[in-house]
Amino acid sequence: MRLHEYRVLFMVATGILTLLVASPALSRLLVLPRTEFFTELWILDLNHRAEDYPFNITRSQNYSVFLGIGNRLGYCAYYLVEVKFRNQTQLAPTSFGPPTNRTPSSLPALFNITAFVADETVWEMPLTFSFDYGFNETLSQVEFYNLTLNNVKVDMSGYTITWDSEKWGFFGYLFFELWIFNNTVSNFRYHERFVGLRFNMTVY
Amino acid sequence: MSGVSVLKFSFVLMMLLVFASQSYVFMTIAQVSESEASSALTSAEGAVDSAYQAVSKAEESGANVSGLLVRLNEAGWFLIRAHMAYKSGDFDSVLKFATQSQEKLNGFVADVDALKETAIQEHYLDFMVNVAGSIIGAIGVVCCSFIVWFFLKRKYEKVGSMV
Repeated sequence: MRLHEYRVLFMVATGILTLLVASPALSRLLVLPRTEFFTELWILDLNHRAEDYPFNITRSQNYSVFLGIGNRLGYCAYYLVEVKFRNQTQLAPTSFGPPTNRTPSSLPALFNITAFVADETVWEMPLTFSFDYGFNETLSQVEFYNLTLNNVKVDMSGYTITWDSEKWGFFGYLFFELWIFNNTVSNFRYHERFVGLRFNMTVY
Repeated sequence: MSGVSVLKFSFVLMMLLVFASQSYVFMTIAQVSESEASSALTSAEGAVDSAYQAVSKAEESGANVSGLLVRLNEAGWFLIRAHMAYKSGDFDSVLKFATQSQEKLNGFVADVDALKETAIQEHYLDFMVNVAGSIIGAIGVVCCSFIVWFFLKRKYEKVGSMV
């Protein structure tokens, strides 16, 4: 057998060995660049599922959920979550449509939560809340006194919910708007997304 | 009036003065003015912002900042509490929470710098071993193969000419 008959075999073996040795460098060089940069925002129930959310609310009763943020922006982000409450007649923030049309709610924040989240990581916080409210029989409306969120009492005087005759209930929405710190302007900007919980405030 | 009663009276008066001065000092400490609270809040905000900028830079250089972010999140929580207290006019609490926020960040920037330094060194080592090392290794494999092939060829030709 002549040596040149082994030439191809020798070259293939050399090629495979070269690729094996170069694989650590190749794994770093041949990486597809990230093209999608975004933030995830969610609320989960106590079992970390999206099914058993509190709905029928009793005054001074504690309810718990998990609020989470997933950072896929490519850098460590500084988020601010504005906790707000609205009734069925007040406008909700927007998170769909063209970016210029996505606006936060004009309602004041009851509570703020900051979160520093590293790139490609997830931040989660358990939230325990309760509402202290009364029923005004004359005006047939629910009047709020306080919201207690993670043992911090927040004044809710002035917040009311009137009877919804179509859906038969006093419906309120606790929602969480996501804002992000903008280094250029050194301030927070609405990050065009929010999550919320719909409640039926029971009065008896 | 006897000397003993004068002595007793002086003692009682002195005790009263001591208590009065203590309660005066306590009240002065407890009552924080709005400007003091505002300044403490601004200072805590500045500390949190600086810490965030430092962490961002460290992350850019490849440092694993998760441990530091736990501290930063705690400081952020106290800062939010300080803001809420300021809104409700509870300036004592503003000072308390703003101080707690700043305490959480004591030595933070130094820790970030140390982490950044370690990350740069690890990055360099990783580059040398995994990128430069493996490229040099691959070139070495190709060169060795050529040399081996060259010697095999020469040996084969020698054996062939002898036959």
